[in-house]
Amino acid sequence: MLEATLEDLQARALERIRGARSMEELEAARVEALGRKGALGHISKELGKLPPEERARVGRLLNAVKQCLEESFEARRKEFEEEALRRRLEAEWLDLTLPAPEPKRGHFHPVTQVQAEIEDLFTSLGFTVLDGPEVETEYHNFDALNIPPDHPARDVQDTFWLTDGNLLRTHTSPVQIRGMERFKPPLRMIAPGRVFRNEEVDASHEHTFYQVEGMMVDREVSVAHLIYFMKLMVNAIFRREVAVRLRPGYFPFVEPGFELDMQCLLCEGAGCPACKHSGWVEMIGCGLVHPNVLRMSGIDPEEWMGFAFGLGLTRLVMMRFGIDDIRYLQSGDLRFLHQF
Amino acid sequence: MKFSFNWIRQLTENLHVSPQDLGRLITTKTAECEGVDAYGEHLAHVCVARVLAVEPIGSGRNKKVLVETGRYGLKTVVCGAPNCRPGMVSAYVPPGTRLDGREIGVAVIDGVASEGMLASGAELGINRDASGILELDGEPGAPLPGCEPDHVLEIDNKAITHRPDLWGHHGLAREVAAITGAALREPVRLDLLPEGAAPVRVEIEDLELCPRYSALALENVTVGPSPLWLQYRLQAVGLNPINNVVDVTNYVMAELAQPMHAFDWDLLRGPAICVRPARDGERLLALNEQEYRLDQRDLVIADARGPIALAGVIGGLDTGIHEGTRRIVLESACFQASSIRKTSSRHKLRTDASMRFEKAQDPVNTVRGLARALELLRQVCPGIRVAGGVADAGRPLPVPPSILLPVEWLCRKLGRAVEPAEVTRILKRLGFGVEEAEPGALRVTVPSWRATRDVSIKDDLVEEVGRMIGYDAIAPQAPAVVVAPPPPSPERLFHRAVRRTMVELGFTEVYNYSFVGEEQARRFGMDPADHVRVANPIGTDRTLLRRSLLPEIFENILENSKHYEHFRIFEIGREIHKQPAGLPREIPHMMAAIYSRQGVEDGLMELKRAAEHLMEGCELCPGFSRSYEHPARAGSVVWRGTVVGRLFELHPSLLEGRAAVLDLDLQVMLALQEDGKRYRPIRRFPASAFDLSVIADRRELAANLSRQLADLAAPELEAITYLRQYSGPPLPEGKKSVSFRLTVAAPDRTLSSEEVGAIRARIIEGMRARGYDFRL
Repeated sequence: MLEATLEDLQARALERIRGARSMEELEAARVEALGRKGALGHISKELGKLPPEERARVGRLLNAVKQCLEESFEARRKEFEEEALRRRLEAEWLDLTLPAPEPKRGHFHPVTQVQAEIEDLFTSLGFTVLDGPEVETEYHNFDALNIPPDHPARDVQDTFWLTDGNLLRTHTSPVQIRGMERFKPPLRMIAPGRVFRNEEVDASHEHTFYQVEGMMVDREVSVAHLIYFMKLMVNAIFRREVAVRLRPGYFPFVEPGFELDMQCLLCEGAGCPACKHSGWVEMIGCGLVHPNVLRMSGIDPEEWMGFAFGLGLTRLVMMRFGIDDIRYLQSGDLRFLHQF
Repeated sequence: MKFSFNWIRQLTENLHVSPQDLGRLITTKTAECEGVDAYGEHLAHVCVARVLAVEPIGSGRNKKVLVETGRYGLKTVVCGAPNCRPGMVSAYVPPGTRLDGREIGVAVIDGVASEGMLASGAELGINRDASGILELDGEPGAPLPGCEPDHVLEIDNKAITHRPDLWGHHGLAREVAAITGAALREPVRLDLLPEGAAPVRVEIEDLELCPRYSALALENVTVGPSPLWLQYRLQAVGLNPINNVVDVTNYVMAELAQPMHAFDWDLLRGPAICVRPARDGERLLALNEQEYRLDQRDLVIADARGPIALAGVIGGLDTGIHEGTRRIVLESACFQASSIRKTSSRHKLRTDASMRFEKAQDPVNTVRGLARALELLRQVCPGIRVAGGVADAGRPLPVPPSILLPVEWLCRKLGRAVEPAEVTRILKRLGFGVEEAEPGALRVTVPSWRATRDVSIKDDLVEEVGRMIGYDAIAPQAPAVVVAPPPPSPERLFHRAVRRTMVELGFTEVYNYSFVGEEQARRFGMDPADHVRVANPIGTDRTLLRRSLLPEIFENILENSKHYEHFRIFEIGREIHKQPAGLPREIPHMMAAIYSRQGVEDGLMELKRAAEHLMEGCELCPGFSRSYEHPARAGSVVWRGTVVGRLFELHPSLLEGRAAVLDLDLQVMLALQEDGKRYRPIRRFPASAFDLSVIADRRELAANLSRQLADLAAPELEAITYLRQYSGPPLPEGKKSVSFRLTVAAPDRTLSSEEVGAIRARIIEGMRARGYDFRL
């Protein structure tokens, strides 16, 4: 009797499992058959009323039915889960070629980039990075650099004078003086910064541009040491071996003074309009620190020697990136700046 | 400064080097040679020719001319020159010659085939006379006398500001001789100078301003054009041929770097030539036909009537050489460099003379100039004769300085060994006197032409030796120094970090000028009087130094808004603040801006986020607004209790779209950086959290609510976080609900739910007492 009920129950439950159209229907069928108050539970309560031999037989059958139904439920449940996952995956298709949300990363100014490289290089060589004011005294910009009033060298640098008698520094060289006033020798420093010359602006001239000043004062500092650092710097900036030449150049604050030319990278020294057909490009003014300059900053030139250099950072940046018009650098034009 | 290669060759012996190679050698050993250009190349083909017949053609000035050219045979040319006539001798240019970059061909003019041309001095580059064809002597076929193809070397003026001697060919020839090993010729014959009393008297008032004034009087002068060779020489180096007397003074200047001047002796008044400061208000009508008003800062040459020349700069028109001049006084003087420079810049008058004098010329050179001029005048002005001896006033010549040069020290400076014999040889070739002072040290005597300003200490001699051995002969060498980390530059590192953060947040770095105009300043509420002012500005929009980065950032926004719908920019630059005395204060600022044409991007909050990235825990304090700020969207940025900047939207009347701006004082920010971070143990007992929604007036600041809740939640409060805000039904009009999540805990145990409930109740009660309500 019970056996027939069980078989019937199994058939009906299997029918419902197969026919379930959702997880909810399946769950309802499961509760009805296997739940605590479900059909199988009900039968198992009846089991106790049977005689022992029959009880064992029906009990085995009950367990078999229960196991069969549980497996079926589980299989069907898995089917539903897999289907749900499949649908979710299908629905979650994403066009990865769409752009990432704004904002995009910004851009460092090209001068900032090259300046940072130079700072890092010299810092790694034991140079400190110093800063000086953009508004300078006549003393620091000229007198202390061995350029007395009415020296023709003052003509070379068209100066912006201020109504208070100060001036806009025409070079970063006054930071040499400030460096020597602040630190005792031995001293190794560089000073990148903004400088000003009262010049008409065109594609290759600006009234505002950037230089890097450098200085080393120690017991033994020679032209050979200067050449060593200059070559190191040029090769590091251009990331290759660049031919350089040193020739006499006149700067009142160094003696001897040099111009350092590097071989034109555009024509490899063959001569082109960029290098005025000379094959060489003027890049750095340098020399051994003039004893008057050391003395004026309270350093005994009989005890200490030094070299100093001034690098045209703006020109370097233009060469590095192939910029043909200096005016872009301070234009604030994002069509230009977004390229860096 | 232009130098003639032929001239240099004439001043040297055994110079076997091409003009181009010489240019390179001069660049690497002496001073930058900016170019070497062929000059008068065509003169190899041009020859003397006689005009045989002239026949008018057409209706214009052109004539058909038959010329005997010797070298090229009989030729027919078309010539339009007014002075073209039968029997004259002129210069013939054959077809195929390049003149001024243009090839002369066989051209048919007015129906006549012209086989080449007859040329003027201007066309040939010999002088500036274009009024007619050259008038010559000589046999057809001969080259033009003294006019050979040449090369011009252009030396950078800036590279020789310290070398008075290099403003003349003889000085450069000395360098060339020292570089190449050629011998230097001496162009001056002092023995030509006449002995005896001078017919003119020279009086110098101030020997500082005029250390030496030499003069020579000459008579029986015939003024006329110079011979071709002289005109050509001057023309090649850029000097304008005028007449034989003036040309000689210019020639001597270009050769010896000694500026000279010639006065018409008959036009001088009084017994003496006086060198004195001008009297205030004196005037001089100069050779350039300009009148100059002088004062006592100007040094003049004067006769009994008044100034006849502005010393070292320009001569007077009234006493100058003219066609009828019969007697002259040649001036060859030396003036103080700085005085000449001041006068020349004050009157905005730079002349070939003033350019040389301001480099500090050699007083020894004055009589050398006179001797050389006398020799040349005898060549180009036949019949001229001296009238008495040389007038020579001045102070005693300075003793040539001598410098002790330790050779070992020299080698240390160069970083290379140099033999004492080599040092001696180099210095001697450059004109220095050298003898051994003691073992290992040389006694070097500086020649007068290098002693005026250029060479005075042993360091100057390092340069002389270094450049002559060649800097490429010095091998690079790393120094042996103590290895130590350099002193830190905290400001740089901080600015770098700020830059990096801003770029990572999508901002692009701009650089702007340090200048602003008055109008720009006013627009942003700044008084031009509070700015540092440029005395010689480059334009009216660049008269002041910026006190704020805003005016230029604003320009950036306007300009870029023409090309972009939205963008983010920033600048790190210095504000320059006027001080009562001394240098202005330069304060580094970072200004960032977000622009959106549609006004959709929430620029203010994005900038606030940027500020928080730079300063964790910074706060915005609204309160007031400036004229250019959006009155309801502006506030100060406060960090660690200190105002560090402003955050605002630009006033909508200033532009289309929206622009939010963040302005931070990097100096103050740097000072507020903390270095001493300390670890706090992580809590061992769990915390509890609950949410509260406070109902407040719509303009109540969230920060204000948060602070009050936090006060009431103390001391158990761990954290308070803003969740959201809401306004609308069922809340009454003008009210909003702001939700926060509060986390509370005790250090030594887990709070029970009753304890948490009590804290919550305490907060609600406290807030209600202050008039707030809750959505519970």
